[in-house]
Amino acid sequence: MPPPESDDLRRLGERIDEAGKRRAQGTKQAAPTSLGIAFRFATEMVSALAVGAGLGWGVDWAFDHWVHLQTRPWGMVVLFVLGAIAGIRNVMAAAKELNAEMAKKDVEK
Amino acid sequence: MAMNPMEQFEVKPIVPLHIGPYDVSFTNQSLFMCLVVALVTLFLTVAMSRRRLVPSRTQSMAEISYEFVANMIDSTMGDEGLVFFPFIFAIFMFVLLSNFLGLFPGAFTVTSQIVVTFALTAFVMLTVVVVGFARHGLGFLKLFVPKAPFILLILLVPIEIISFLTRLVSLSVRLFANMLAGHTMLAVFASFVVALGAAGVFLKPLAIAPMLMIVFIGALEMLVAFLQAYVFAILTCIYLNEALHLHEQH
Repeated sequence: MPPPESDDLRRLGERIDEAGKRRAQGTKQAAPTSLGIAFRFATEMVSALAVGAGLGWGVDWAFDHWVHLQTRPWGMVVLFVLGAIAGIRNVMAAAKELNAEMAKKDVEK
Repeated sequence: MAMNPMEQFEVKPIVPLHIGPYDVSFTNQSLFMCLVVALVTLFLTVAMSRRRLVPSRTQSMAEISYEFVANMIDSTMGDEGLVFFPFIFAIFMFVLLSNFLGLFPGAFTVTSQIVVTFALTAFVMLTVVVVGFARHGLGFLKLFVPKAPFILLILLVPIEIISFLTRLVSLSVRLFANMLAGHTMLAVFASFVVALGAAGVFLKPLAIAPMLMIVFIGALEMLVAFLQAYVFAILTCIYLNEALHLHEQH
């Protein structure tokens, strides 16, 4: 085999190995910017609050409308608090995930 | 000169249509959604019409987008996730193309409408629920029951359900808010250019500053357009993965 061709083949082999490694690692994620992180936490928190409050409102409405039971403020009060808890939990989970990612990146460096 | 940066998001009917009490007009939004779907279809069919072993530029673009999504699914869901390839690929291409198309001056950004992103998200979450029930039967409901003493479950189950429903909001709002904010910012800076340009002789040269800003924000918006499509698709993968395997890591 002439030298240049074997060189090409070797390079192709290297590229295939690399692609295989990339496949094993999973796609490389772009490093999140600080703004992105802040925005992510904010949406997690706010949307949990919104869902909690919305659900509470819906529950009160349903009780009032179908069961004719006046639960008016309580469903919303309770579910809003639960929503807040869920939001904090979501943010903590997201933070934990980010921390793990950063730690992994530090190890790679 | 009154310029409203939010004017670009107005949905205007092109062909007014009413069915009963409902307004189902064909709007600029519908037009751009059709355009996006047509563009994706056209791009993929044209790119793959003359298949070659050594791909042409358009063909390799199609191949890259295919491989990108396939890798994404493989890394989040493993091989069995590839069943969902058409679903994820369609969502990814739709969001990506709508984001990019919206960057053209005068174009309408479909993904800056909460209706559109929420409908997409609702569709994703419905798929998650259907797949979960189809795969695990009633066992899917275990997703909402963490390991805890029984008394705590009274509190924890509603929290789990709320945090599941939260995805419906956070996924749609993330995409919508990013597109809305970016395009509003561009429009605001553009109005600065016009205002300064119309001002006195001494202020006129200052118009170059917001002009430069537009260029930078435009570049940033390109990144955001891609990144948001990626985030939307990968979160879809992650949620589907959870429905497939429930939560094993907990």
